[in-house]
Amino acid sequence: MSNYKILSKEAHKDLRVNTVRSAEYGDNIMYTMTFPMEFRDIQSCYPIFFCKDSESGQLYPAALLGFEQDENLFLSDSGWDASYIPMMVRRHPFLIGFQADPDGPEGATKPVVSIDSDSPRLIDSADKDSEEGEILFNQDATPSDFLQATIGTLESIHRGLEHNKGFIAALLEHELLESFSLKITLNDGSNNELKGFYTIAEQKLQSLDGDTLAKFNAQGYLQSIYMAIASFARLRPMIDKKNAQLP
Amino acid sequence: MNHKINRVIIVGGGTAGWLSAGIIAAEHCIASAGSDTVDSFQLTLVESPDIPTIGVGEGTWPSMRSTLQKMGISETDFFRECSASFKQGTLFKGWRTGADDIYTHPFTAPQSYSEVNLAPHWQTAREQINFAQAVSPQSALFADKLAPKQISTPEYAFNVNYGYHLDAAKFAEFLRKHCVEKLGVTHIKANVTAVNSAENGDIASIATDSHGNIEGDLFIDCSGSRALLIGDHFAIPVCSKSDVLFNNTALAAQIPYTDENDPIESCTLSSAQSAGWIWEIGLPTRRGIGHVYSSDHNTEERASEELLSYIASTVSEQAAAAATLRKVQFSPGHRAKFWHKNCVAIGMSAGFIEPLEASALVLVELSAAMISEQLPANRGVMDLVAKRFNDKFLYRWDRIIEFLKLHYILSQRRDTEYWRDNCEASSIPEHLQDLLALWRHQSPWHRDSHNVDEMFPSASFQYVLYGMDFETLTSQTQRRSEQAERLRAGSLFQENTARTRQLQASLPTNRDLINKIHTFGFQKI
Repeated sequence: MSNYKILSKEAHKDLRVNTVRSAEYGDNIMYTMTFPMEFRDIQSCYPIFFCKDSESGQLYPAALLGFEQDENLFLSDSGWDASYIPMMVRRHPFLIGFQADPDGPEGATKPVVSIDSDSPRLIDSADKDSEEGEILFNQDATPSDFLQATIGTLESIHRGLEHNKGFIAALLEHELLESFSLKITLNDGSNNELKGFYTIAEQKLQSLDGDTLAKFNAQGYLQSIYMAIASFARLRPMIDKKNAQLP
Repeated sequence: MNHKINRVIIVGGGTAGWLSAGIIAAEHCIASAGSDTVDSFQLTLVESPDIPTIGVGEGTWPSMRSTLQKMGISETDFFRECSASFKQGTLFKGWRTGADDIYTHPFTAPQSYSEVNLAPHWQTAREQINFAQAVSPQSALFADKLAPKQISTPEYAFNVNYGYHLDAAKFAEFLRKHCVEKLGVTHIKANVTAVNSAENGDIASIATDSHGNIEGDLFIDCSGSRALLIGDHFAIPVCSKSDVLFNNTALAAQIPYTDENDPIESCTLSSAQSAGWIWEIGLPTRRGIGHVYSSDHNTEERASEELLSYIASTVSEQAAAAATLRKVQFSPGHRAKFWHKNCVAIGMSAGFIEPLEASALVLVELSAAMISEQLPANRGVMDLVAKRFNDKFLYRWDRIIEFLKLHYILSQRRDTEYWRDNCEASSIPEHLQDLLALWRHQSPWHRDSHNVDEMFPSASFQYVLYGMDFETLTSQTQRRSEQAERLRAGSLFQENTARTRQLQASLPTNRDLINKIHTFGFQKI
């Protein structure tokens, strides 16, 4: 289980983070949340679908990584085999959290970086010369390049979450999402069925009026929609990967 | 005689009035104000500003889902604004022997019901497992107070079939807003002071205290037990059913939860008493608990004692001490006809019977749906539609009365006059006696249905019969189909066990899901 603590240079000054991609560190995930701002990179590697959060029922865009629970076809013995790794994967073991902002108005919050203190990625070592993992803080207690890059990712995720809300609301308002199931027959005759995913309703999309299209274009949604559609082409290489793994 | 039926006037604004308005307006486009009114359809609801609604019917059937959906209502809004909760059926306590016996009538039909009749196959295992649990996962789910779906399930869709419990007063207000704002229904607040007749005896208009005469082509009487049009004006008599169903008085209370996070029942509880039964309906905000009884068999004093002792033992002594009881009296029965000339009665003006199987709101839905579907094109064909309507709803009332009576006559209770009288042959409709004689030798199944749209499917009869320990004897002859059917039944029983476990593990509690609906809402897809 996760146990997030606010990151501090006092408590975490000797901490290192292992960035190896492996099932051992929890990278064996079937899909992960993604955001329109990274669709361009995502669609070059992974199919983009939409799915529901089981706790809230809210829809979000997701990059598909496997065809069954705990399967990530992009993981190999040598790590993550793709040119782009989704932000929600790269963020681990960090999270953006919120705490009361004493400088802001009543009830205001500010984002803070949290770290999962139970994550298997953490290495606690005062040995600054160690080769293992990435340091979080330099000798002078300033954030390391790795940490700065991670904070950048977390900030992007924070903006991405907000952006997703608007994007999804617009898709739902125009009934542009539809339930979708995909049956994949492998070379050995076995079947994998993808259920519980949603995709762009292309017929509805084609019948959108000019005003809506112009609005979508101005909001950047139009490009995201077409990237999601184009990303379907990434299913084939995934099926090939899966077939190649057959005994 | 052949003028078009374009102006429909509904008199009364309780749940019956607004539900009827919504159902009709969801199908028939209403012309916007100011357009040519001669040829365009108008729906007006006239509601007294002085008479409070009585709030009958806090339980619905699963049919309410499609009724609301067709009206274009968001299920999320409905839950949030009507204090709604999920209902998956009814749990009966003490009906068989008066002790701790329990049986259930879930909304889901037995597994693969149209394919195999599981009832005869269950008979051999009846000592080990009760009927409802053997054939459907649902009663195990509501025993655990689970919801019938997840937050990720789209609105109106389900894992297991469901209807609702709701706050009737909030529901009427919610429907009013939707009807007026979204469906174009005209709302007039006025008291009806007189009914003006046309030459042919039809109602030409209703006179009101603040809006003059309101003319119409078809008048729908939703004025409740006052029955302003069908009763006061047309004097259509009521067929009393008090010789079959004795209950005629209800004491109702609203009991808050002890803790706001107390679990919410996801079925109606019905507990048999000395001369009636106590209902318990769980809303997110409160419990509705009431005692419906026969005043010929019980005194009000004794009935309130029984109710308060129920509240004390199921909720708390404090809740019982703080309870205020509201008394409602009714004469069980229905009009001799519901549609007379250009007037049709829906809701309590049409009839009222104890809420044992929550038949009040579903009758409103069915009545309004039939009016909407068969809306007479002109006055000339109205009498033909009226006859069809009357035939259909007289048939339906008979079936409801029989089905309710069935709950009583299967009881082994003889501890009071009430239970003994209920089993007197003279109080049992002949048609029901015949059915019982038949069911002794063959179990009811879907092929028994006379009509495609029977009020109670044969599965409901199975749940009550076998829940009440009724025994159907084994077949006289050796059936060639038996072995194959027995194998199929065996695997269906196993499937049911597996599905029950899987649903128990994946469904949230009723309270948990309702909280999530308030926080996140359901998706439409």
